[in-house]
Amino acid sequence: MVIKMSNPLSSITPILNILSKEIKILPATGGAVEELQHPDQEEIEDVIINKNIDIVTSFAETPEPDPHNIYRHTPPLSRTEQHLFKFFVDGSIRTYFLGTGIEGTRSFPIELAQIGSAVIKREDDGQLRVLTYKHRIILLLPKQNQGISDTLWHYIQNIEKPDWLEIVDFTMPDILTDTKKDPRDKAGAKARYEMHKLEIELISFTDAFRDKNNWLILDGAVKLTDFIQAPYLIGVAKSFSKTPQFYLGKRRGAKSKDITSVLAGLPHAHRTVAFSAYDGQVAFWYVRLREQRELDYPLMGVVKVELPCPDKKPVSSELADLISSALVAERNVTPYGLDRRWHCSLYPIYIAEQVIKNRFFSKEVLMGCIRWPKPQEVNYER
Amino acid sequence: MNDERNIKDVGKTSATDRDPNTSEKFSFWLAPEVIVNPFDIVEVEQVYHEGKSKTFGLVTTLEHRTDSPTHLANFISSNFGELTEEPNTPRQGITLAHVNVLSNDKDIYMPVSSEKVVRFADEEGIQIALGIDAMEPQNRIPAGLIRMSNGTCAVAYIDRRYVLGPESAHVNITGISGLATKTSYAIFLIQSILQSIPDEEKNKIAVIILNVKHGDLLQIDKKREKALTTEEMEMWEALGLTPKPFPSDKIHYYLPRGKDGNPNSCLIPDVYHIYAYDLDGTIDKLDFLFTDVSDTSGALEALIGDIMNGIIAREGPLRDIHSWENLLNSPPLFKDGNTQKFGDHYKATVGKFRRLLRRMVKTMHSGIFVDNRRTNEKLLSEELENIKGGHIYVIDIAQLKEYEQQLVFGDLLKTMYSLKIEPKENLSEEIPEKVIFFVDELNKYAPVGTRVSALTEQVLEIAERGRSLGVILISAQQFMSAVHPRVTGNCATKIIGRSGSAEVLQPDYRFLDKEIKNNVTRLSKGELLLSHAVYRQPVKVIFPKPAFKQQEF
Repeated sequence: MVIKMSNPLSSITPILNILSKEIKILPATGGAVEELQHPDQEEIEDVIINKNIDIVTSFAETPEPDPHNIYRHTPPLSRTEQHLFKFFVDGSIRTYFLGTGIEGTRSFPIELAQIGSAVIKREDDGQLRVLTYKHRIILLLPKQNQGISDTLWHYIQNIEKPDWLEIVDFTMPDILTDTKKDPRDKAGAKARYEMHKLEIELISFTDAFRDKNNWLILDGAVKLTDFIQAPYLIGVAKSFSKTPQFYLGKRRGAKSKDITSVLAGLPHAHRTVAFSAYDGQVAFWYVRLREQRELDYPLMGVVKVELPCPDKKPVSSELADLISSALVAERNVTPYGLDRRWHCSLYPIYIAEQVIKNRFFSKEVLMGCIRWPKPQEVNYER
Repeated sequence: MNDERNIKDVGKTSATDRDPNTSEKFSFWLAPEVIVNPFDIVEVEQVYHEGKSKTFGLVTTLEHRTDSPTHLANFISSNFGELTEEPNTPRQGITLAHVNVLSNDKDIYMPVSSEKVVRFADEEGIQIALGIDAMEPQNRIPAGLIRMSNGTCAVAYIDRRYVLGPESAHVNITGISGLATKTSYAIFLIQSILQSIPDEEKNKIAVIILNVKHGDLLQIDKKREKALTTEEMEMWEALGLTPKPFPSDKIHYYLPRGKDGNPNSCLIPDVYHIYAYDLDGTIDKLDFLFTDVSDTSGALEALIGDIMNGIIAREGPLRDIHSWENLLNSPPLFKDGNTQKFGDHYKATVGKFRRLLRRMVKTMHSGIFVDNRRTNEKLLSEELENIKGGHIYVIDIAQLKEYEQQLVFGDLLKTMYSLKIEPKENLSEEIPEKVIFFVDELNKYAPVGTRVSALTEQVLEIAERGRSLGVILISAQQFMSAVHPRVTGNCATKIIGRSGSAEVLQPDYRFLDKEIKNNVTRLSKGELLLSHAVYRQPVKVIFPKPAFKQQEF
């Protein structure tokens, strides 16, 4: 008996064949090279997505907080006392540079990305299980701006593809892609955008289960192009923009405070009051999960919490306290030694990320599967 | 047991870059709440040319792993060492079992693939795993019960051809497992052999048991006083054996003569014989008495050899020597109050011989040595000439001095060996085809070391050639490392009870994997590790309490 292992990415081969037939390809070394992620990608995204909230002037909490006392004690509320967060959503991505395509006088990168998202459910006994999971492969090509020809785009769009394979035009504008100039960076940003879309898509799997006692935590911001409207959901960002300036109190007497001074004064197991963003459509606040003495830097151990408020109603202090207390309890266990942001990681989110990454095709498999047809000689015409 | 097949999925095989599955080993993770223990036997689906096959394996170790890269991470996850901290989400962890491959039912020894469901083997599976299915039913000897974590039980049969010959032979039992465990197991095994062999062969096997401690084996034909528990009875039943004492009409007890002429034993059976040693009955094994005597130059050994030859041949100055007294205090060794030079042996050597022998047979002895035997004081060598198949001979040596024990054991081995090699023509009974010897404290008779005494040589002879002659040794000792490696090396079946970690690290235990060695240190009382020539890996067995009367302490 002969045991055969089939090529799991064979559906890409016809597309690569057409591309190499129609245009000249300068393949990347070994067929594909992994694009390294920026270490603070999440922070960069927070800066991009929330670029309009550099100035914070109002609260989004009721009763209206005292501007001179913006910290509230939120002692840990463990799962055994009240199990509030039951669902955790995260996404992950790996992008690969496959080569450079040359069509006529235009040259452009050809990129491939594995994107995945998972929803983890935590049972009342603390055990985790995967509620749902999606994994997609996207081939990123430019259609506009010196990209591939309309005819070739038409050809490759018409090739029969499985559901998990998608061809995406990385020149299509979106909030993340627009900030990039370099085509390879644009492709990477587009892949991240697609990943966030997948995360949002998966949130709907929890719609039937979420209520005031069963909340979901999304890793990152609650706004992409539009606000996420789903109730009983918060976004928790481990890294966030450090640019906001806070002008609180009566306008005339309002003192400016930057985020560093706001967070440096935030005691352990406390939260800041909720601030308003996007004209009240999002309430956000910061929670300190860990004591500063345990950490190297005052801003470590703090997470940013975003709560969508579609009706622009301020969040009640009671709810923000409950959410924050439950979050403080999430600090343990921590992926210390596995994630450099261990001090503000939420373990179920880390597990969601591991679920996704462990289901990605390995670099070896991908390199083995992505085979450009025999290299063509490129005629460098002057 | 066959009707209650208790098969349960327990986990899935797992091969990684650093920890691959091989032809010899594989690993599997356990599903939550599944309990698996070392020595459980599991099965997993394997490829075959047509259809599927099954690979069986023995669980050797289990380990729990988490995603924590360091202990520091766990400390931090407990809020920097707060003992009362309860994690909101328990850390992800798995229990991983490491398995040694036992066999494949279709002889496929490809490594087991990853992600295959692993199950507890059922009774039939366990027997296939161990190669018992290939044993002819008439050759199966129950050697204990394998009891797995899920309650599945299977009989561990050993192959008669590898216990009694001709393929291989001998059994060695080692360990500090507890009072009378080794002896109880040896007697259980002897009972099992006698009960499981076909009727037509029962009269072809005789058993010689040496009782070395208290009165342990001097009432093996008596029913035990305390009835066996239901569980014990079920074990006997599961093994297919009858819990009964040895038949009184086939037991012969031989007790050593004491100083007053009465038996020198802790316990006197109803019917017994007394044995003693006069010079004529001892002379051909005189060298066994000097087993522990230091003789670096070999002078003493040479003198003993000449004395033995002289007396046996009835030639020269020793022809009229018939008693210990004559030998010690008469010419040619002693004359006119002085030790004499004998042949080319120095006076000093003769003097040493006399001093030692006088101490052994005159001043220090337990009463076993006599100048002239009474009619009822038997010579064991003569008794063995009438050994009958189907009978059990218990020789009590418990109260004897160590050198006396060595003489008795050497006498028995040498006599039986001689009878097997050159059967005497005038014997009333035909020598049984197989003679099983059971002796405890084997290290006294065949100790490890470069010096090989006459007794050790005799034991080695039996260990190495006994298989072809039908002389089978079932031996026991606390430390296998204290026994001559050529003896234990020739035992095709080894039984190991709980042993210390220093002991199992000795080279004698090389046949055990490191993981299994660790488990040996944790065996409980009554649990034994059975390594048999037919099995690819040793298995853990339990055995029922004896059905005969045991001395209470």
